[in-house]
Amino acid sequence: MGIYILKRLILAIPTLLVASVLIFSLVHLAPGGPIRVMLGDYQDPVLIERLRHQLGLDLPLYQQYLRWVGNLLRGDLGFSITVHRGAPVAQLIAQRISVTLELATFSMVIALLIAIPAGIISALRQNRLSDHIARLVALAGVSIPNFFLGILLILIFGVYLRQPWGAGGFVPISRGLGKNLAHLVLPAIALGTAYAAIIMRMMRSAMLDVMGQDYVRTARAMGIAEGNIVRRDIVKNALIPVVTVIGNSIGYLLGGSIVTETVFRMPGVGNLVINGIFRRDFPVIQAVVLFIVVLRIVINLVVDLTYGVLDPRIRYGAAE
Amino acid sequence: MSEVLLSIENLVTRFYTELGVVRAVDGNSLQLGEQESLGVVGESGSGKTVTALSVMRLIENPGRIEGGRILFRGEDLLRKTERQMRAIRGKDIAMVFQDSLSSLNPTLTIGEQICRVLKFHLGLSHRERWQRAVELLAQVGIPEPERRVKHYPHQFSGGMRQRALIAMAISCSPQLLILDEPTTALDVTIEAQIFELVEGLKQAFGMGTFLITHDLSVVATFCDRVVIMYAGKIVEEAPVTELYDRPLHPYTRGLLGSIPPLEGGKDRLDSIPGEVPDLINLPPGCNFSPRCQQAGERCWREEPPLEAPAPGRRVACWKAGEPDG
Amino acid sequence: MAKRYVQGGEYELGAHRSLLQEFWHNFKKNKLSLAGGAIVLLYAIMAIFAPLIAPYNPVEQFDAPRGMRNPMPPLSRDVEGRLFLLGTDKFGRDILSRAIYGTRTLLELAVGSIAIAMVLGVAMGAVAGYKKGTWVDELIMRTVDIMLSFPTLVLAIALVGAFGIGSVKLGPFTLSNLVKIMLVIAITYSPRFARVMRAVVLQEMAEDYVAAAKVTGASGLRILTREVLVNTIPTIIVQGSLMMATTVLTSASLSFLGLGLQPPRPSLGLMLNEARDYLFWGAWWYVIVPGGLITLAILGFNLLGDGLRDSLDPRQARRVRR
Repeated sequence: MGIYILKRLILAIPTLLVASVLIFSLVHLAPGGPIRVMLGDYQDPVLIERLRHQLGLDLPLYQQYLRWVGNLLRGDLGFSITVHRGAPVAQLIAQRISVTLELATFSMVIALLIAIPAGIISALRQNRLSDHIARLVALAGVSIPNFFLGILLILIFGVYLRQPWGAGGFVPISRGLGKNLAHLVLPAIALGTAYAAIIMRMMRSAMLDVMGQDYVRTARAMGIAEGNIVRRDIVKNALIPVVTVIGNSIGYLLGGSIVTETVFRMPGVGNLVINGIFRRDFPVIQAVVLFIVVLRIVINLVVDLTYGVLDPRIRYGAAE
Repeated sequence: MSEVLLSIENLVTRFYTELGVVRAVDGNSLQLGEQESLGVVGESGSGKTVTALSVMRLIENPGRIEGGRILFRGEDLLRKTERQMRAIRGKDIAMVFQDSLSSLNPTLTIGEQICRVLKFHLGLSHRERWQRAVELLAQVGIPEPERRVKHYPHQFSGGMRQRALIAMAISCSPQLLILDEPTTALDVTIEAQIFELVEGLKQAFGMGTFLITHDLSVVATFCDRVVIMYAGKIVEEAPVTELYDRPLHPYTRGLLGSIPPLEGGKDRLDSIPGEVPDLINLPPGCNFSPRCQQAGERCWREEPPLEAPAPGRRVACWKAGEPDG
Repeated sequence: MAKRYVQGGEYELGAHRSLLQEFWHNFKKNKLSLAGGAIVLLYAIMAIFAPLIAPYNPVEQFDAPRGMRNPMPPLSRDVEGRLFLLGTDKFGRDILSRAIYGTRTLLELAVGSIAIAMVLGVAMGAVAGYKKGTWVDELIMRTVDIMLSFPTLVLAIALVGAFGIGSVKLGPFTLSNLVKIMLVIAITYSPRFARVMRAVVLQEMAEDYVAAAKVTGASGLRILTREVLVNTIPTIIVQGSLMMATTVLTSASLSFLGLGLQPPRPSLGLMLNEARDYLFWGAWWYVIVPGGLITLAILGFNLLGDGLRDSLDPRQARRVRR
């Protein structure tokens, strides 16, 4: 297990490196460039030159990159050039990250709590009414865009039913956990529905797959009770591929939270990056994207480790 | 034959697929005495596994047992409730499947898998169950059973896994052990060891065994009596020695002709030209007629009944006993 | 080919069925995928004939009659008595016409992006597969892995961030906003095609016909372009159809965020964005029409894609149990 964790950690390093190069080159690929953006209408050549030097933009590219990475490692993500001019990006992200993380986590928890039991029941009752209903709901779930669902929810709960928590916005935990969670319910449903639908479908098909396995027949042939077979043979093994999907689909939750934050007007990281793009605030865009990618890679790592816990074949390597 | 342990009467098992009805087992009868070893031989698709699964009542959708009786110690298994069957499976009748890797749950240790069988049938305390599991592993010849009991299936070799599977099957001292091609995935030396083991266990527990195989050479050393199946039907039955000396059905003769020399090598039954017929669209007349070199007008038209030309022998062939053409 | 027995003791070989017939036979059995196909067909008709179907010019603004304000609900009339079946938007433009044109743009975007992504991905995957094990393969597949480690929408957003919003000047060329968005989405999705393509190329290269071509002295590149690529087309097309649904979602999401199509161009995503300001007016039609159209399109492509995959999936092939 130790070697497995180490191997996964080492494998993540080149991924992070190349990702940082990609994100770094985004800025240099950009037409215009940050200085022109910063100065806006006031394009004085002398000032441009001075700023270039100040920001190190006159250095060769590889030096700029090394400087950027060096700063990153020290926790310096640069400074905002337009949206919050002069503010350290690290601080901007830190102020907003709790919103995004809380939304993503809450969505995921709700989604998994619904999707996994639904997938199990659906598979066990294959082709019966409850299975058909679950599958139709899942189909609708993967088809409805989160922003449309979000607006519909606001329309229903905020506009027609006049619920105070139904109109969007974010209430920090400091003003009470109940209020905080109440305001998160609709965004979490909007964001988590497609995720839940994907997981439910995967759980169902993994269950059906496992139900056809020889070891399930062996367990039956040994006279094991059906409930025990479902728990220890079917669900336990079906969860293995589902965990992969849970991990791979986290990207959707992170990307989708940007959209959901916009729908519900929540002050999260998504909001920051969208404003950054409108105002061409390159350091902000760069930092937020890198931040999300790193987050994604870290979460994937954690999921991979869970995989090891669930599957002894990975934990103990191949056959002796 | 002493007391009858298992008696299958006119068993009909069919699968209702989208493409049509598969007549997997088509009205077969056979008997197995206490402590007797019966070999059931046939190509894949001949219905031998379905027969065994019917006895276990493990036929799954779209399959259905449509007729007949399966008497185990005089009681009809087809009349048992699912709950009663569960008490019989693994306790009185146990089955060992062919692919030991896919037949064991990859996420439970060997010990856990044996212990839960013990738990369901014998109860016992947690400690007693583990102790019994270790004993069982030792009994099937797994070295270092105390250590091995905590291992997962993938940490075992193929032969060891098959032994573990056998340990699980015999854990509650069944009276009937069904072995479904238990050695297909194994090499010849290990195969011999496994059969030696089963032979020993058979003596020790006084079990009857129902061995499914496509390999007549295995049957020769291990079984008392042989049933040959073809396309869902029994075509011949005989005591082992008689079958080898004087096979009556042309199909049996084809099978015997394809037994490899002692050194092993190819043991597949592909030396008979043609392929197993489509069980949905069976040929008229004798099922074997399209492949039979001796087949005549009558074979293509009428199905031969299963007759008993001598005590202990049965054969279904219009030309039974005629020398090869 | 299965041998089938017929009455009379003779048997005949089953009739040959072409792959296409086999596919259709499997596909039509699934009512849901047929429904998906029908939805997609309807959308295609709506997109192609948009100018004929749309009752008004999608950018023309109409004035609300006295006592009413835009956006007006469905079945309202303007000062001159013109009927708006699905109501108007905040500038008094006909929602139905905008929705029809918006659908057209959405499909244009999705089809265009997938086409470009296919070309990019096929090229990357083919080269990587052909140069298997070399540094070229390593470089391409590493890049592909990294791009896939970005959440799709985040990568698309990052690319828009780099290009900027609206049309882009690249030296002497100007990329229109539409083409730029296509490129952004295509780059985002090309790694998936590259992966599939590489796998298929490797599989095909191991086939006998490639060995045969090599023996006859054909050059490697010639084999790749003439023989292998032709055989990978079906897989790539299926992959493309499977990805249509997510491409529609991604492009609609970009437009919703304001990072995609720009006003006054009719766009379903943008309509939803505008509608947010009128929710408390109860302007449900402003939400339902564009949102419903996006959802139905994704549903249609999902059903169609699943149907295509299932009817081409070898696991679904006929099997007769023992």
